[in-house]
Amino acid sequence: MKNLRKLPLYLLAILAFGFASCESEDPEKENDGEVITDVILTFQELDASNNPVGAAVSFKASDPQGIEVGATPTIQPVNVTKGKKYQMTIEVLNSIEGEDITEEILAEADEHQFFFLGSGITSNILTTSYADGNGVALGLKNLVTVSSSPGTNNTQLQVILRHDLDKNFPGANNPNFANYIQAGGETDLDITFPVVIN
Amino acid sequence: MPFYSFATMLQKAGFFILFVTVLFSFQTAHAQKCNLTLKGKILHQENDEPVEAAYIWIMENRTGAVSDQNGNFTIRDLCPGTYTIRVQFLGHKEILQTIQLTGNTLNQTFRIEEESLDLSGVEVHGHREAVQTTTAVTSLYGENLLMARGESLGESLKRVAGVTTFSTGNTIAKPVIHGLHSNRIMILNNGIRLEGQQWGAEHAPEIDPFLADEITVIKGAETVRFGPEAMGGVIMVNPPALPTSKKSLTEIHLLGSTNGRMGNISTSHTGGSDKIKGLGYRIQASGKRAGYIRSPRYYQANTGMSEYNFSSSIGYSRDKLGVEGYYSFFNTELGILRDAHTGNLSDLNEIIENGEPFLKPDFSYDISNPKQVVSHHLAKIKAHYHLNTDWKLNLQYGFQANNRQEYDRRRGDLNAKPSLDLQLFTNTVDLFLDHNFKSNWNGSFGINLIQQANSNIPGTGVTPLIPNYDMLNAGIYLMEKYLKGPLEIEAGARYDYRTVQAARYVGEELQESDLSYQNFSAFIGGLYQLSPYFSFSSNLGSAWRPPNVNELFSQGLHHGAAAVEIGDPNLNSEKSIKWVNELEFESNKALIELTGYVNRINDYIYLNPTGETFVSLRGTFNVYEYLQADALLYGFDLSGSYSFSDRLNAYMKGSIIRARNLDENNFFPFIPSDRMDWGVSYALGKSDSKNSDLITLSNLLVARQSREPDFDLAPAPPGYALINISYQKKIKLADNQFNIGLQVNNLFDTEFKEYMNRFRYFTSDMGRNISLKLNYQF
Repeated sequence: MKNLRKLPLYLLAILAFGFASCESEDPEKENDGEVITDVILTFQELDASNNPVGAAVSFKASDPQGIEVGATPTIQPVNVTKGKKYQMTIEVLNSIEGEDITEEILAEADEHQFFFLGSGITSNILTTSYADGNGVALGLKNLVTVSSSPGTNNTQLQVILRHDLDKNFPGANNPNFANYIQAGGETDLDITFPVVIN
Repeated sequence: MPFYSFATMLQKAGFFILFVTVLFSFQTAHAQKCNLTLKGKILHQENDEPVEAAYIWIMENRTGAVSDQNGNFTIRDLCPGTYTIRVQFLGHKEILQTIQLTGNTLNQTFRIEEESLDLSGVEVHGHREAVQTTTAVTSLYGENLLMARGESLGESLKRVAGVTTFSTGNTIAKPVIHGLHSNRIMILNNGIRLEGQQWGAEHAPEIDPFLADEITVIKGAETVRFGPEAMGGVIMVNPPALPTSKKSLTEIHLLGSTNGRMGNISTSHTGGSDKIKGLGYRIQASGKRAGYIRSPRYYQANTGMSEYNFSSSIGYSRDKLGVEGYYSFFNTELGILRDAHTGNLSDLNEIIENGEPFLKPDFSYDISNPKQVVSHHLAKIKAHYHLNTDWKLNLQYGFQANNRQEYDRRRGDLNAKPSLDLQLFTNTVDLFLDHNFKSNWNGSFGINLIQQANSNIPGTGVTPLIPNYDMLNAGIYLMEKYLKGPLEIEAGARYDYRTVQAARYVGEELQESDLSYQNFSAFIGGLYQLSPYFSFSSNLGSAWRPPNVNELFSQGLHHGAAAVEIGDPNLNSEKSIKWVNELEFESNKALIELTGYVNRINDYIYLNPTGETFVSLRGTFNVYEYLQADALLYGFDLSGSYSFSDRLNAYMKGSIIRARNLDENNFFPFIPSDRMDWGVSYALGKSDSKNSDLITLSNLLVARQSREPDFDLAPAPPGYALINISYQKKIKLADNQFNIGLQVNNLFDTEFKEYMNRFRYFTSDMGRNISLKLNYQF
């Protein structure tokens, strides 16, 4: 068994190889692909026959660092006028990646849905309905009607985006479905906009 | 006389009056003179490893015993006098020794020497390693292991008193020894410390229990022997010894169970060469597939799993040299309960309030996101060389590659990308020298190197939870054991030095860190045979654990858990002292083991809820931070069995543990509650092989954890009681062995939640499960 005498040598060779091949990689920058940094609500006033009136106005909620400790989002108050009807469209962006997430949500309309809650909805100051077309309950496009006698100048609109829910869950086709969590899935967005009523 | 000291000690302990009663009843029953016992251990002269199946004869009485797999034997009911002992083992020189038995039990170690290899008919022994320690050790093997087949490593080990699991749903279970888990215990795969991403609560050990024929739990702090982090204990998963002569054994396991509609197969083939003496090999493979786990009222969505594993080894053993090569591969894909993955705090609170998942689908085998895909390669080479009859040189090298991918529910194409993608390489080298002088002294000293490189594989689209890092740990150790009659004493010391270099990008910013740690640890222990029936062992060991990278560097959202976790780069090493005492009583009918321990840990690192929340566009999250505090853990494990007749047997095992945060004077979360498992078994077989048919009825009782932490997402669930029933039949077919096992767990489909399951917030535990386990050896 002469070969075995060389065994320690072989072992050392394997050992040296193992150690050499074994250093951690240099870290690389990782851009958060999923983070939502900006949510823009665009209000376009409509007349009785749903034709646009005047220029559209946008209100933005942004958190430029995404989900990072320390930074709190800035949310612009939404300005609407009592008794008016609006088309509300939602845009969702990732400014870190320079990506428009709205398109992804539209492409995955079967897995996503917006819900609108908050005091503005529950006290019947704001009435919303989905207007995405083709009977799709998604919420990127909506009709919002402001009560003509709101009784207050200030209220709130909570915008929730759910992902991976059961869209056929009983009641889930209602944009103001308070028990949306029972339809399963998880929350991608949960923003409460202050609403000022003129 | 030891008996007196034992009685005083019991009074001091104030524990189990029953115990004392049993003791006295035996003292009266055996008041005659012939109640002495000869105990001992048979070891190989040249390597100090235990010899199984050696014959020990008392010539005068024509009685004898056969040594067990740890080399131990017991001969009872001897009268005082002088005896001639003959020890025989094939291929070894016979030992003839005269001993004097007086009023006490004698504990004798025999070292048996190998005969020259030139003689025909000589069997070269396999080099089987066994732990020889004075701390409490329990092994799972033989029938008990056969019953545990098909379960994960963590689940299997629940059969050992004092071991529980910290689990994430019903597919991920981490073993807990005396309240400690993850990086505070160590798992050895055939002698190599398993290095995966153990820090994570939802990271199960990457090991296939089918590769083992014996799983050993050491409940003491064994840092000196095995390196840093073995603070709570060590789990050794040991494959059987390789044959060293012509042999062929094939084993097939076939298992199925109703809950999860699980199917599991494992085969192994072991062979020994006829042409080359001392050459042996084994190959083993297993596969497992399961679907959604069923709780009593619903299926848990996305809880399926698939696993396939392979291992092989080859060994060559001669009189002076032994070489072994070993490789194991573990691969698993695990689904995570869908509703346990929450977007923000209000999602989390809603499901906790609901107490069960919102999603209750039909059964399926599908595994979709969130899921984990984990693979682990382990290769080792081990060699030993006998320098002379007293000294043995050992070299062991191990290489491990661990890849862990965790997938979350994400948008669009991102679903196909893991959110966490880690590659961990580990090299370990052990070089040590064993020695034994005469038959009284033995020990070893050596060096141990661990080198580790962790990399995040780019492209996840998520800021890494832990940085890339390189770690180097060097340790030097020495331990010595003295054996004399009924006494064994051992002591050891070790010094370790560790450096960690970590780097990562958080956004555009490069964070780098260079850290180093060093520590000295030591242990002292003893074992004393108090009387023919009692033995007592005690072990005091220090241990340390440097902070883990996740504890140092976590910064950000723990996806799915609705928690922001903040690490602290200035954490100190944890340092602990664990004192373990074990009292064992063994008679022909009864066996009782009582283990008591105290573990004081300074600078215990834990994740503390700050009570603050963090607001983002996604909603609100709880903020947790890593803190350090002094901790005190203590408790008892009790296990015992009693034979009412040669057919009726009863057993019980239980454990009690307390864990306090001494700085805050409150309790740590996820400490196992008091529990007890007891049962009776009845042998139905024919009179010559009664145990070939065995039926067992058992009852598991788990108390509510009343020592809750100040903050928890939900209160501890109520206690529960489960009834299990099993039937085992062994059939001998010529030279082949066929084993059938039928088990029903949770017979009455009781709905319960286990405090140690992290998914107790979201779902109740597994309902009734009926398993059929077939095993054929030929």
